[in-house]
Amino acid sequence: MEEYPEELRTPPVSLVALFGYPELHASITKHLHSQQPPINALAFPDFSHLSQLLAHDDKINRTSSSSFRDPLSVSDPSSPNPSRSGGILKRDWLLKHRTKVPALVAAFFPSHDIFGDPTQWLQVCSDLDSLKSIIRPKNIKLVVVVVQSSPQEEISEDRLLALRKRAELDSKYVLFVNSSTDSELTLSLSRIASAFAELALAYYREEGRRIKSRAEKRSSNSIDSNVRYCFKVAVYAEFRRDWGEALKFYEEAYHSLHEMIGTSTRLPAVQRLVEIKTIAEQLHFKISTLLLHGGKLVEAVTWFHQHKASYEKVVGSTEFIFHHWEWMSRQFLVFAELLETSSATVQSFSSLNQGTSEMPLTEFEFYPAYYYQLAAHYLKDKKSALELLLSMSKTAQEIDSSSESVTPSVYVGQFAQLLEKGEVLTLHSITDEEYTRYIISEAKRFQDSFEIIAWLKRSYESFLDLKARRMAALCAFEVAREYFALADLSNAKLFFDIAANLYRQEGWVTLLWEVLGYLRECSRNLGAFKDFVELSLEMVTLPVTSYDASGNLGNKKYGPGGPATISGRESIHREVFTLVCREAELIQSTPENGFRLATDSPLHLEIDLVSPLRPVFIASVAFHEQMIKPSALCSITLSLLSHLPLPVEIDHLEVQFNQPACNFVIRNSQRPKETSGSSTVQSGSQVEDELSLVLVPNNWLRLTYAIKSEQSGKLECLSILAKLGPLFTICSRAESPAAMEDLPVWKHENRVESLPTKDPVLAFFGQKATQVEEPEPQVDVSLGASGPALVGEDFTMPIEVSSKGHAVYSGELKINLVDVGGGGLFSPREAEPLSLESHHVEICGIDGTEGNDESETETGNIKKIQQSFGLVSVPDLEVGESWSCKLQIKWHRPKPVMLFVSLGYLPHGSEASAQKVHIHKSLQIEGKMPLFISNRFMLPYRRDHLLLSKIKPAPDSEDMPSLPLNEKSVLVVSAKNSTEIALQLVSMSIELDEEEGETSCLIEQGGERGDTPGSANLAPGEEFKKVFTVIPTTRTPKLGLGSVHLKWRRQGGNTTEAFVSTKHKLPEVNVEASPLVMSLNCPPYAILGEPFTYAVRICNQTQLLQEAKFSLADAQSFVLSGSHSNTVSVLPKSEHVLSYKLVPLTCGQQQLPKITLTSVRYSAEFQPSAVASSVFVFPSAPQANSTAK
Amino acid sequence: MIVCVAVVGHQNNPLYIQSFTEADDALKLHHIVHCSLDVIDERVNNPKKSGTTLNEAFLGLLYPTLNYKVYGYLTNTKVKFIMVTTDLDVRDTDVRSFFRKFHAAYVDAVSNPFHVPGKKITSRTFGESVGNIVRSYTFN
Repeated sequence: MEEYPEELRTPPVSLVALFGYPELHASITKHLHSQQPPINALAFPDFSHLSQLLAHDDKINRTSSSSFRDPLSVSDPSSPNPSRSGGILKRDWLLKHRTKVPALVAAFFPSHDIFGDPTQWLQVCSDLDSLKSIIRPKNIKLVVVVVQSSPQEEISEDRLLALRKRAELDSKYVLFVNSSTDSELTLSLSRIASAFAELALAYYREEGRRIKSRAEKRSSNSIDSNVRYCFKVAVYAEFRRDWGEALKFYEEAYHSLHEMIGTSTRLPAVQRLVEIKTIAEQLHFKISTLLLHGGKLVEAVTWFHQHKASYEKVVGSTEFIFHHWEWMSRQFLVFAELLETSSATVQSFSSLNQGTSEMPLTEFEFYPAYYYQLAAHYLKDKKSALELLLSMSKTAQEIDSSSESVTPSVYVGQFAQLLEKGEVLTLHSITDEEYTRYIISEAKRFQDSFEIIAWLKRSYESFLDLKARRMAALCAFEVAREYFALADLSNAKLFFDIAANLYRQEGWVTLLWEVLGYLRECSRNLGAFKDFVELSLEMVTLPVTSYDASGNLGNKKYGPGGPATISGRESIHREVFTLVCREAELIQSTPENGFRLATDSPLHLEIDLVSPLRPVFIASVAFHEQMIKPSALCSITLSLLSHLPLPVEIDHLEVQFNQPACNFVIRNSQRPKETSGSSTVQSGSQVEDELSLVLVPNNWLRLTYAIKSEQSGKLECLSILAKLGPLFTICSRAESPAAMEDLPVWKHENRVESLPTKDPVLAFFGQKATQVEEPEPQVDVSLGASGPALVGEDFTMPIEVSSKGHAVYSGELKINLVDVGGGGLFSPREAEPLSLESHHVEICGIDGTEGNDESETETGNIKKIQQSFGLVSVPDLEVGESWSCKLQIKWHRPKPVMLFVSLGYLPHGSEASAQKVHIHKSLQIEGKMPLFISNRFMLPYRRDHLLLSKIKPAPDSEDMPSLPLNEKSVLVVSAKNSTEIALQLVSMSIELDEEEGETSCLIEQGGERGDTPGSANLAPGEEFKKVFTVIPTTRTPKLGLGSVHLKWRRQGGNTTEAFVSTKHKLPEVNVEASPLVMSLNCPPYAILGEPFTYAVRICNQTQLLQEAKFSLADAQSFVLSGSHSNTVSVLPKSEHVLSYKLVPLTCGQQQLPKITLTSVRYSAEFQPSAVASSVFVFPSAPQANSTAK
Repeated sequence: MIVCVAVVGHQNNPLYIQSFTEADDALKLHHIVHCSLDVIDERVNNPKKSGTTLNEAFLGLLYPTLNYKVYGYLTNTKVKFIMVTTDLDVRDTDVRSFFRKFHAAYVDAVSNPFHVPGKKITSRTFGESVGNIVRSYTFN
């Protein structure tokens, strides 16, 4: 695009000329530039420069115009053929109209020149006349601008009228400029600008119309003038920014021009076509630019295709076809650059509707990358055509650029010879022969390759951006081929690699073969021996299956890799193997390969799982067992596969494991044994001999051996190293048959696949690694657990380590407590991680050894003890010795716990590298509550207190017992042995928590003082009870009664065992004063038929009068006298007695008549308890009492 | 004239590729077929942009190169058929019917119980039937 002249590439801008009053020019020019659309201005300081307007400054142009302009006057003898003169478009026409010929001329006069002195007025008139004489023939518009220095200046109407007449102007175009103030100036400037714009528009419209009418008038005229007129009309339309019309006339010019092909006879044939194509190119450029700037992307692309289609076949002379290819290439390049620069590409792509029906367009035709690629392609065609031409003709080779001075002539697309005749330079038209010599010499000057590479690279990058990897790969391949042709091998290799990676990935074998062939040549020429071998091997193992070159790929233009056939593979195979497996003395005899190799340079190839060389040597290794015993023999199968086209014999194989001691070597017994110890395997390792080690293509070579490992743990086969010659080794990563991946290039081949091992189970599930077990432990660890543990006690767990065949060295005992229910040993709800209490079960300590004095002194014996973890070192033990320790565990909560004990030791003391043997033991221990403690409150016998909270319980109160204030209540505490073993209870007491508790409540032991302090032996399930009396002295809703302290120990154990004290917190009680107390008075027993008195005392303990309703229910076993129901008033702090006489009628325990008391004040009803209101009736007076006494 | 047909697997690996030219441009045709996979990818990934309906197997003109036109067809199993022709004026209906026949031949070939899906098609019968179909179509 850069090679087009500037005036063609940018839209034209109107041009005006300014004369006189140069002070104003700068501001006016600036203002006109900033207009939308802008206007360019030519500024002349005064009218003496008038002659410079429209002046031709080029001498050559003038002389040539005299020789070319008028075809009828054959005055110039230098043009031998008058019919050949003339052209379609003048080269400088557009430039002239953009920079030289203004649309209007503005004449500036100071106002005093016009309205003042008559001599100055006359000068103005003469200036105007001379100006008019110049511009009138060209139809250039005129504006007169009167510059006022102040707004108050007087204006003579007569003079103004005379001025207008003289200038032949409408009053509109005589403008006044007031430069005195800024605001006036800007106002004047905008007035000037609008007048200028209007007049410029009018000028260009009139010019366009004039040329149009001329074209219509002379429609019978030659096509070339028609083309010219259309072009000019279009340019004028562009000046007016009438893009539609410009486009229309450009297209018309383009179509007329196309008709000229084959009809025009003006120039010699070759040059004629060149001229047409050059103009077509410019017209096409204009049209494409206009379409793209108008956002009509689809139309632009369609137009380009039409352009390409209509000129594709216009080749001209087939001998000089390279010129046509160059032209085509330029079309594509320019369009690509246009597409790239136009913003329309980005926005409007989504709204495309795939072109028109007759010309469907595809996605990639909207991307510049496509056109860059094709431009490069045509340029390549040009290059090869030129090379062909140069090689064919001797004369073409001899042409060099210095001989002739051919330059572009006045007309677009024409060339002429510049001749110097003394001072004067003249242009001569040239013959076709001269012209072709000229273009050949021009073409020879250019290095097309660099441009091809540049465009292809641009295309490559832009395809990459579009995520079109395959197109990008093709571009990369083309770039690389160009570099290859230029012998720039490192760059070529770079781009070949890009292409090869994609083809490898997608398995396009034929394409890959081609690229690898080039790459192989690159590395050969670069002298990279290892790369060369790797690439050769990769090519050789490609799944190329066609047999003859004349088959599918009947291609004469092979890359350096030759045709992709089996024979090609075989020949490369032979070449590379003679190279790598050469004998030392043969090195000098292979200079044609271009490699200079030292005798002792070994070649080592590493093949991993992603390497493209994997098909060269696949090693699948399977252990027959998943677990093996140490030192026991285990079978291992090696299966080797190669996709090389010819059989390969291996000298020896080395199998390498993660335990280097297991490495072994397989030797080919047909090969001479190696004398040098170059093998990487240590001496003393296993060596196997095999009759033949030949890898046959596509056949598994299966080898089974027995190995053994001394070391426990994982035994994995890492790699297999094959030695194929004295200096050539291939090392392949071992693979498990179970996890073997298909080869990327071979997996789509339709071929018979065999299993790596004969045993199908091994083939599908075989692993390259196995587990070597630990040696059997010969040490016993016993946990002497005894029964369930009790909460609170220090539970002792004896652990004994006894050696039974192994000595124990640096033994370590790990102890772990794990909650059986899962989770930690403390509940998260009550978690207070810092407090010791939070652990429900903890290890308190580990007692040292028994009978092993020296270890007692060792402070390092107990290494580490945490709540649930302990680490103890075990002293060294000889065979037969034993060691024991005691583990103390304490339960804080009843909980089952798992105890894990593991012993790790070394059976042999000295070896640092030896592996530890481990023994694991575990035991579940139940932690149990030893005693179940319960308590019960008993109110005083036959005294019932009206406790309001009991009758109307508050909604939030739980089952909290209520005690009357200042009354003696009874508390019975019972402890029940809930274990399976007998316990000895030593003491039971209640201790109040705090001092205030002691003041608020009085607790005494019930019973007599002389009793034993609660010591008792409890059999399993047995219960021990103790009675306390409680007298609350403060009224409080929550009275803490302290806790019960129990001291106990296991019965029957050794007496030295400490007592365990267990605390049990008593529930809180509600203490309240009772307003009414009802007590029943009744004899301890009754005798059948004998009357007795039954008195109910209602005692008012308040300061208020209490009204009490009572009702007495009849009882069947008694005859009753007294009031059944009544309401009585009880005075404050006094009592009322209801007294009844009863006669029992039946014997035995009898229910007394039930009394129900209702306090009116509290509207509360209460009854004595059933137990309290019963009496035993004897049939006759009992004698026992008296006898006892 | 149809110069090349290809069957491409769903991992974009070639399953069958056959050119029908006397000229020496088989490798170029391979490149063209390979590049046209980019267009298929683009069309399948952005069905809205390219305006084709996904319900149709026929993908239309993929990509005009200098002297060839490339047409594509995508089966339900993501196997792609690609056809390269030198004819510049081709009616879509002809190409559609070509692909339909080609598809039928492919289905016959892969229905062979001895054919492993995803492997290259090496059946000679398939090759013959494809050759017959290709010869029966001259678009001009």
